[in-house]
Amino acid sequence: MARVVVLGGGIAGHTAALHLTRMLKRSDEVVMVTPNSNWNWIPSNIWVGVGKMKTDQVTFKLGPIYKRKGIEFHQALATAIHPEGGPGRPKPYAEITYTDPARAGDRVELDYDYLVNATGPKLNFGATPGLGPNGHSYSVCTSGHAVEASAALQASINRMRRGERQVLVVGMGHGTCTCEGAAFEYAFNVEHEVRQAGVRDLADIVYLTNEYELGDFGVGGLTFTQQGFQTTSKLWTESLFRERGIRAISGAHVTRVEEGVVHYEQLDGSSNSLAFDFAMLLPPFRGVDLQAFDANGADISAELFAPNGFMKVDADYSSKPFEEWRAEDWPSTYQVPRFPNIFAVGIAFAPPHQISRPRKSPSGTVIAPSPPRTGMPSGIMGKLAATNIAEMIEHGAAARVYSASMADMGAACVASAGSGLRQGSGASMTMYPVVPDLVKYPGTGRSLKDTFGEIGLSGHWIKLLLHYMFIYKAKARPGWHLIPE
Amino acid sequence: MDDTEANIASAPLPTAKTLQARKNLGIQLGRFLVINMKMLKIIRKERR
Repeated sequence: MARVVVLGGGIAGHTAALHLTRMLKRSDEVVMVTPNSNWNWIPSNIWVGVGKMKTDQVTFKLGPIYKRKGIEFHQALATAIHPEGGPGRPKPYAEITYTDPARAGDRVELDYDYLVNATGPKLNFGATPGLGPNGHSYSVCTSGHAVEASAALQASINRMRRGERQVLVVGMGHGTCTCEGAAFEYAFNVEHEVRQAGVRDLADIVYLTNEYELGDFGVGGLTFTQQGFQTTSKLWTESLFRERGIRAISGAHVTRVEEGVVHYEQLDGSSNSLAFDFAMLLPPFRGVDLQAFDANGADISAELFAPNGFMKVDADYSSKPFEEWRAEDWPSTYQVPRFPNIFAVGIAFAPPHQISRPRKSPSGTVIAPSPPRTGMPSGIMGKLAATNIAEMIEHGAAARVYSASMADMGAACVASAGSGLRQGSGASMTMYPVVPDLVKYPGTGRSLKDTFGEIGLSGHWIKLLLHYMFIYKAKARPGWHLIPE
Repeated sequence: MDDTEANIASAPLPTAKTLQARKNLGIQLGRFLVINMKMLKIIRKERR
C-alpha cells in the first residue's frame, strides 16, 4: 500500500489527485491538503470581475467530490515537509495546520510515500506598498477579489452615468508579475462593459504592464503567419489596443499605490504617477513559505526552494546570460533531485529563468515578466506527476519515466476581450512549444505551423466552452478523464 | 523612452469587412471549428 499526499487543490494538484484515484489500486491512499474548501476555475474570474458571472458559477465545494472519489481531504495549510522523516521516525511526513473552521489552528503530521507539491502561489501584495484589496487597488486572483472588483467597477460606471469622467487602470502591480494575459483580458472586458453601458466616451482605460512591449504575455511574444506574412503578437495586440481605444504603458514596475494614485518606474529610468478612479492590478507571486527539514530537524529549505519560495526540481538553475539559455534548462519530470518521491507542479516549481528577455531599469530594478505556468501546462504537469507516481508504485526501480518539459509542450490560450454570445470577442492563441527552442525552431523558437492567433466572436465561444468543460472535468463527472488537460 | 503609445497609434486598424467577419455568426461558427481543430492538434502532440 502506498500513500500519496497532494499539497494544493488548484488546477495542478486537483488534476493530479483525480488521476491518481484512477491510476492507483484501491488499497493505495490519495490524500489532499488544501486550505480552501472550494475549487475555483480561475480563468473565469475575469467575468466575475465585470459582473457577468456569479461566484457560484466559477467555484464548487471540494469536499463532496473528494468523498465520492475516495480521497482523504484535509482543509488545511501545509507548513513544512520532512522528506527524511524525523528523529525515531523513518517515514517522510508533512506538517499541516487546519483552516477548516471546525478544527481551525489544529496541527497534524501526515506520513507520505510520495508527495506532490502543487501549493501554487502566495499572492504577494506586500511586495508593493498599497497594492491589493487591503490597500488601494483591486484584484481578480480569487473569486472573492473579483466580486469586490466588480462592485467597484460598477460604482465607477454609475459615476460615468452621472457624467463624471473616470480613469480605469488595469495591469500588473509589480515589475516581476506573471499572468499578463489575465490583465489583458480584464482590460478588454472592462472596455466592453463600459461600452455596453453607453459611457465609453467618459472612460479613459489604461493598461499598465511590466511587459517590455505589448503582446509579450510573459512568453517573449509570439510570431505567426497570417495571409502569407509572418506577423507578431506585438503588432496584433497594438492593433487591438488602437481599435478599442485603450491606452498602454509598458516596461513598468509599480513602486507604490496610494488612494487614487499609482506610482511606477519604467525601463527608461523615469518615475511617473497616474491618477485613477478604479485600478485592478495583479500582484506578483512567490512560493507559499513551505519549509523543509532533514532527519535531524535541520532546516534544508534553502536546498529545496529557490529564493522566491518555489521548489527546485530537475531543471538547470545555474546562472547564465540570456543568450546561453537552452530548452534543456527546463524541467521534464518535476521531481526534486535529492528526493525523487517529491514532485512540484504548476506554479509551485521554480522556473530556471524567465522566458521573456530579462531587463533592468538604469537603477537596477528588474522589470521582466515571470514565466506563466498556469492553465493547460499546470494540468499537464499534474497528470504527469500522477502517471510517474503510479508507475513508480507499480514497477519500482523499473518504472518507465514520462516527461513533459515546457520546452516540448504546447499551450492553447483564449483571452476574452468581451462577454456575450452575439457581441462577445476573444483572442484565441496556440503556441508550440511554450518555451522557445531555437535549436529545433531556428528564428522564432516556435513552430510556425502550430503557433497562431485570431480575434473574433468564436474566441468567446471557445472560452465559454472551456469554462463548462473544465468545471465538468474538475467535478469528476462521468468521462471526466477523457477531457484533455 | 516608452514608445508604446506611438506604436499603438501607428498600428494597422482592421477594415470594416474584417470587423464584420469577426461578428458574423456563420463565419465565426466555421472559425470555431477550425480553431478547435488547431487546439486539438496541440493536445495530440502533447499526448505523443
